[in-house]
Amino acid sequence: MILAFVGIDSGSEVLQALVNGVINGCAYGLLAVGFALILSVTGRFHFAYAFTYALAAFLAAVLERVYGLPLLPAAAAGLAAAAVVGVACDTVVYRPLAERAGSGAMLAVFVASLGIVIAGENALSLAWGPGPRNLTGIGSRSINVAGTTFTTLDVISVVVSVGLSGALWLLLGRSGFGREIKAVRANVQMSTAIGIDVNRIHTAVFIIGSLLGGVAALLYGLKYAASPDMGENAVFYALIVTFLAVSSSSPLRLLAVGVGVGLVERTAGIWLSPQLSTGVVFVLLLAFLSHRSLRLALGGRSLSIGAGRRWRALRGVAG
Amino acid sequence: MTYWIDVLNQALIFGVFALSLNLLMGFAGQVSIAHAAFGAVGGYLAGYLAQEHGWAFGPALALGVTAALLFGLIVSLPALRLAGEYLILLTLSVQIITLVVITSISALGGLQGLAAIPGISLFGSVLLTPQDFLKLLVPVLVLVFLLMRRIAGSPAGRVLRGIREDELATQSLGKDVFAYKSQVFAITAGLAGLGGVLLVYYNGVVAPGMFGFSVSMTIIVMVIVGGSANLYGTLVGTALVVASGPFFQKVIDLSLDKSSLAQLLAYGVALVVVLRFRPQGLLPEGVTPGALAGRMRRRPPAPIAKRAERAVPRTAHAAGAVPARVLEVRGLTKSFGGIRAVEGLDFSLERGQITGLIGPNGAGKTTVFNLLTGALRPDHGTVLLRGRDITGLPPHKIARAGMVRSFQDVRTFAQLSALENVMMGVAGQRGERMSVVLTPVPLGPSDRRTRQRALEWLDFVGLADRAHEPAGSMAFGEQKLVALARVLATEAEVLLLDEPASGVDKRWSDHMIEHIARLPEAGRTVCIVEHNLHVVQQLAQKICFMHEGSVTAEGTMAELSGQERLQEAYFGSMV
Repeated sequence: MILAFVGIDSGSEVLQALVNGVINGCAYGLLAVGFALILSVTGRFHFAYAFTYALAAFLAAVLERVYGLPLLPAAAAGLAAAAVVGVACDTVVYRPLAERAGSGAMLAVFVASLGIVIAGENALSLAWGPGPRNLTGIGSRSINVAGTTFTTLDVISVVVSVGLSGALWLLLGRSGFGREIKAVRANVQMSTAIGIDVNRIHTAVFIIGSLLGGVAALLYGLKYAASPDMGENAVFYALIVTFLAVSSSSPLRLLAVGVGVGLVERTAGIWLSPQLSTGVVFVLLLAFLSHRSLRLALGGRSLSIGAGRRWRALRGVAG
Repeated sequence: MTYWIDVLNQALIFGVFALSLNLLMGFAGQVSIAHAAFGAVGGYLAGYLAQEHGWAFGPALALGVTAALLFGLIVSLPALRLAGEYLILLTLSVQIITLVVITSISALGGLQGLAAIPGISLFGSVLLTPQDFLKLLVPVLVLVFLLMRRIAGSPAGRVLRGIREDELATQSLGKDVFAYKSQVFAITAGLAGLGGVLLVYYNGVVAPGMFGFSVSMTIIVMVIVGGSANLYGTLVGTALVVASGPFFQKVIDLSLDKSSLAQLLAYGVALVVVLRFRPQGLLPEGVTPGALAGRMRRRPPAPIAKRAERAVPRTAHAAGAVPARVLEVRGLTKSFGGIRAVEGLDFSLERGQITGLIGPNGAGKTTVFNLLTGALRPDHGTVLLRGRDITGLPPHKIARAGMVRSFQDVRTFAQLSALENVMMGVAGQRGERMSVVLTPVPLGPSDRRTRQRALEWLDFVGLADRAHEPAGSMAFGEQKLVALARVLATEAEVLLLDEPASGVDKRWSDHMIEHIARLPEAGRTVCIVEHNLHVVQQLAQKICFMHEGSVTAEGTMAELSGQERLQEAYFGSMV
């Protein structure tokens, strides 16, 4: 009765929405873990994450369907390609750009990154056609629990997302290499001073980030299909989760925020069309940004947020 | 032939989008990925009114543009305090949400859009062929170009470029940065709306794909490839981008779907290549047909009478009934988290005196400047400027009230010339008001006066012959002098100079000291923060010693240097 009043047909509909929310949310979380690692450590607004994401899954699908490779080698090739392109983005494009652009580096890198996405997506489409391609190779059965339905693939996807986020968390927290990454994230000058090769760390971070994104893409491709433009939506979710969670937070927190976003989106989907429930997630981001802006206005700071980095950079130059 | 006229028409329409985005992004430095969404607001509204309610072109256009303008104004509100990646995210969300909302409104045709937009009748004849549309689109693009050129070339445009270079420095010179940002967002969104309306009428349909994320990206490509902050470059960039489709179709002879993919591939590659190898774009900022012609017969900068002893340019400071204590600060307090950076600070500046504010690192000197000039809001305490309470006012209001600061790290506008930097300081320029710029009055005469005034100040610091060099390419010491001239040009009575002589070699610092020492004769009241006690001793009549957030001693250098406490704080215990 009450449920009907608020527009819900049955309790199991809500339960199903929650289950779907967690499943999708883990994928969003994994996406964000890769994106946030790159953003927080290198400072690069790597929008071309959309392209390395699509490349991993689409190339794997092409290798599997067109060239008849088994899933595992195809997936490995896709991931390797994503990592190579991710590193190339940094070394060939971002790094020289950032060195020259100085305080305007963020914007220059972002716009160049947009260029890479546009070029990359369309190069894939020209080579193998723009249509979606299925990845197969993992059989998937549906599972029914307490009136909800999901598949074995969904379970694998959740386990992989949690596992990889946890692995990165361990790497950052427990290993010497992870501590070097965190040192670069905290302070580049100091890291250089104590002998850390910052470029090596950047390369490592681009490899790890691209691989994490690539795995998320493969899981998506197995569940639905892979297409050259699949990365755009993915990177939007990565952005939303990253900024809601703050990019330098731990992988586990990013994963949790990802699940939160998935839950919000799916519960909104009970009342709204799928189209509008995607919009809800962006409204969440808009609200978050407006809130930050408002808080700054009330706090009496005269400097825009985001301009702070430029300010610090200038102070650094001035000595 | 008709085919190529159709291409030209598309270029004309996208020119409207790209020119306006360049004002926002290239000149004012505000990134927007929502430009197509503003076009959608205008285009959808006009299309809907025309198709479903039979509105004529004129009123539909007017309402579409107004709606886009208002939408831009609303979006600008959260955007005011966001920069960098946050601004990108905000405009990205606006782009996505706008399209999601539009496609979910069934009256607007959902994902299909509206496909029966009536034609435009202009002066009694209906525009049908691409040739007919030229009569409308050419004048529109010319008007938009002239409008953008007027804004960009006006004193208001100079302020916009200042905001791009350094927001805080612009604010500190008395410019209302937030108002400018709102205005430029609104104006450019309105023009994007205009582009949207034209696009819808020209195609006879309106659909979500016409205004999607990729369209926003395409407009950015036009601006960046052509040249950021160069309107002629934008025309070139737009023409290249629009013509690339037909190029692949007709010249390379690809099929329709392949050619559109190849076109996008080319955009992307062009964007990366241009940023990588020619980041300023095909036509860099400041390169115009006029400037190219002018290079051949360049006149020397307006002559200035060379004087052996340069007088301090006059400023109008009515002494009158103003108290001798120009600035009075009582109980100023500011904490950051648990740290009290400034605590119960009492301090005053006497008219026509130079006061030195000294103290060890971390004593809170720069924080005091930030509090006095409104860059930070104090927790407690009052600041009285000439008897008027200015506590908590925003920086631009404090600057206009007569107190202006310089920065330790100079904060010159790197891509503006030394002269333009100083012109930014000149107060009370009519042409800085957007409302004046948007009315057809000549701006030249008053800007020439501003230029003359700025040249006098630049001459005062001895840099008149370097007036046309970009400030960013000058030596650090020279930049400090430019920054001093900029502060002086505001004609503010009270000047707060943050380490004016630090970080520069002796030649420049002597130069600087000489200039500052002569300011009181022009009725200026000066407070300097300086580490170099030698400099302070030479300049300051009164010295305030700051320690742990408050002034603990006051007097002349001779009086203070005898005090053990000061020596301890500065040099550590000697014993």
